[in-house]
Amino acid sequence: MSHAVEITGVRADAKRPRKLRMGNPAAAIPLLAPFLVLFLAFIVYPTVRVIMLSFTNADIAGVGTYIGAGNYVRLVQDKDFWLALWHTVYFVLLTVVPNTLIGLLFAFLILKMKRLRGLAQALFFLSYVLPVSVVTQIWLWVLEKNYGIINFIFDLKVSWFRTAVPAMPATAFVTIWWTVGFNVLMFVAGLTAIPREYYEAASLDGAKGGFKLFRYITWPLLWPVTSLVLVLQLIAQWQIFNQVYLLTFGGPFNRTRVVLLYMYQQAFNQQHGGYGATISMALFLIILITSIVQIRILRVRAL
Amino acid sequence: MRKQLFAILLFCLVLAAPAFVTAAPLPIVSWDFLGGGDGVKWTQLVNDFNASQSAYKVSSTTLPWGVEFYTRVHTGVVAGETADVMTYHLSHFPTGIKMGDLRPITDAELRSVGLSYKDFNPTLVAYSQADSAAYGKAGVLYGVPLDTHTVVVYYNKDLLTKAGVLGGNGKPTGTAGIDTFTATLKKIKDATGVLPITTSSGNDTGGPWRLWYTLFSQMGGTLVKNGKLDLSAMDTTGKKALQTFHDWASQGLINTDTDYGAAVALFTSGKAAFMINGNWEVPTMVDLAKSGKLGFDYGVMAFPKLFTMGASFADSHELAIPNNTKNPLSGAKLKGVLAFIAYVEKHADVWAGGGHLPAYLPVLNGKELAAMSPNNQYSVDAAKIVSFEPNTPVFGVGGTIYTAFTNFMTPALTDQISIDDAVSQFKNEVTKLSM
Repeated sequence: MSHAVEITGVRADAKRPRKLRMGNPAAAIPLLAPFLVLFLAFIVYPTVRVIMLSFTNADIAGVGTYIGAGNYVRLVQDKDFWLALWHTVYFVLLTVVPNTLIGLLFAFLILKMKRLRGLAQALFFLSYVLPVSVVTQIWLWVLEKNYGIINFIFDLKVSWFRTAVPAMPATAFVTIWWTVGFNVLMFVAGLTAIPREYYEAASLDGAKGGFKLFRYITWPLLWPVTSLVLVLQLIAQWQIFNQVYLLTFGGPFNRTRVVLLYMYQQAFNQQHGGYGATISMALFLIILITSIVQIRILRVRAL
Repeated sequence: MRKQLFAILLFCLVLAAPAFVTAAPLPIVSWDFLGGGDGVKWTQLVNDFNASQSAYKVSSTTLPWGVEFYTRVHTGVVAGETADVMTYHLSHFPTGIKMGDLRPITDAELRSVGLSYKDFNPTLVAYSQADSAAYGKAGVLYGVPLDTHTVVVYYNKDLLTKAGVLGGNGKPTGTAGIDTFTATLKKIKDATGVLPITTSSGNDTGGPWRLWYTLFSQMGGTLVKNGKLDLSAMDTTGKKALQTFHDWASQGLINTDTDYGAAVALFTSGKAAFMINGNWEVPTMVDLAKSGKLGFDYGVMAFPKLFTMGASFADSHELAIPNNTKNPLSGAKLKGVLAFIAYVEKHADVWAGGGHLPAYLPVLNGKELAAMSPNNQYSVDAAKIVSFEPNTPVFGVGGTIYTAFTNFMTPALTDQISIDDAVSQFKNEVTKLSM
């Protein structure tokens, strides 16, 4: 079953793919050069330096001696690192799939609206444009134990961010509230790209009822968007730091201490630059491996 | 006509030329982390210094307070690109001196601008000297003390009068000793129904640590022995201090899980009788009272003696010189920096407008401060009972001690964990963090 949109640029009946005519390659260089220079200077070079740093016992300013794989050996035996990793996995489980599904649900609801559609889309996206410190300030007050609106309305006395059990789910909730707008936008675009004729043809063929249409038309045709959103979400949520730093500081009992917060404490609070670099390298590898695995499993294809 | 005008202009420029060459003041770069209400006072001091003389011009850049500031200082020292003078915390001296970020300032250098080590609060100087001996060169100071900032008690005179615990001199009665004070708190709660003490916890990691450390110090507890971290007192005194705090909370005498803003708002809106907070909220109180938005009469006092000795958590802002070994400070700039430091110290009454206690004794005991209210209600008493943050690298601003405290000790206040568990887990965490 072919996708609704294809970008291979090849005619379906062609025997050999037509070679794209290249213009003057030399003209591309000065156009690409500014970006390449910045990319090499600010992304590639620091990454290489961090890899080098992870093999030293340097402090935060990067001055130290070579100690081989000492940091990596220490990392494997570091209980706090594995705990931090587990807390990050917990956070990923709480956000990746729910954020995607909620985004899809809101996209459906938005498309049901006719006149207020533009306003609804803008409102959903509004939270996404807020900086993280504004978002956390809002929710620190709304979920404040003694004077917050939520505790007032539901007559509760829960300290959402400083009680062990609700702390991570509350942080996940704030994250979803903040970033779902982006997913809504992607899904609205994906849903509107599905041609109406498919739905008409399907109902003529006997697929009646919303669920059948969703299962056989919408879901498969939306899959490129859905799988892309899932991959983007996974990569983003592995790197959670800001919300945890601003809402819970990793507490209580370090229960919300995620990998990047642990790295921050090691590198900046305790001046263990080399070990901090090691932690970030470990996270980099984890993100790389899990996103490759996810892409394979979900069979993510081009939009 | 035009030619003559041109000639006159040229003549004037020639006359003025020497002024351009000789009158350019030597620029001095300053870094500070004073972004709060006291930052306004700092800016005023910088501007006043620049206006008072023409040899030097200080330009001050305000950087974020905390970890970020100290990271920048350290990377600046390593790269050889630093400010000429900066603000610093005494509690960060162990780490800063150990990492080689601070250039010592000798007594002789201070005397060249009319200051001396003995002109400053002796408790402060002794503490700073201990840091110098333990982590750097003994006998010199690595920063000139500007102030002490400490935990004080703000009180609502109207509510205290209603509960019958305000003395004839306008000061609270029944604050000496833990049992008397707790009884006073209960009396306030029964008579007025308001929260007796408001203090911050929640998103302010420093609040509970400072209050606990005050109680701990008053019981004679210390966390440093012979310059090394020593947590043995945690199991006895540490538990007792946490228990006191916990018992106040469980009896409804102090609030828990309240963010900093909410805690202060509770007091300023008249819903709490006492506020335990740092002296840095004094400008807030002064401004509210002046604009008529306060609604009650307030006072400020030094932290009362509840146990065996008077003590109150304190830290100190210092004026320090980054240890730039790659591009050391020139003699001329050093003179400018010292002149600036001397000016700020001698005009520390302006700085005291931020609520802080000046470290320079002539100003602390001087007439400007004696006339400044509410500073004159607490400054002299509070300066006598300062108990500085323990001086090992794991403590201090920019370190992890605050987070460790919030993580393991604060949950005991809301019974999420037992006092014993809290103390033992806190000890584990601090031991790990100090490695």
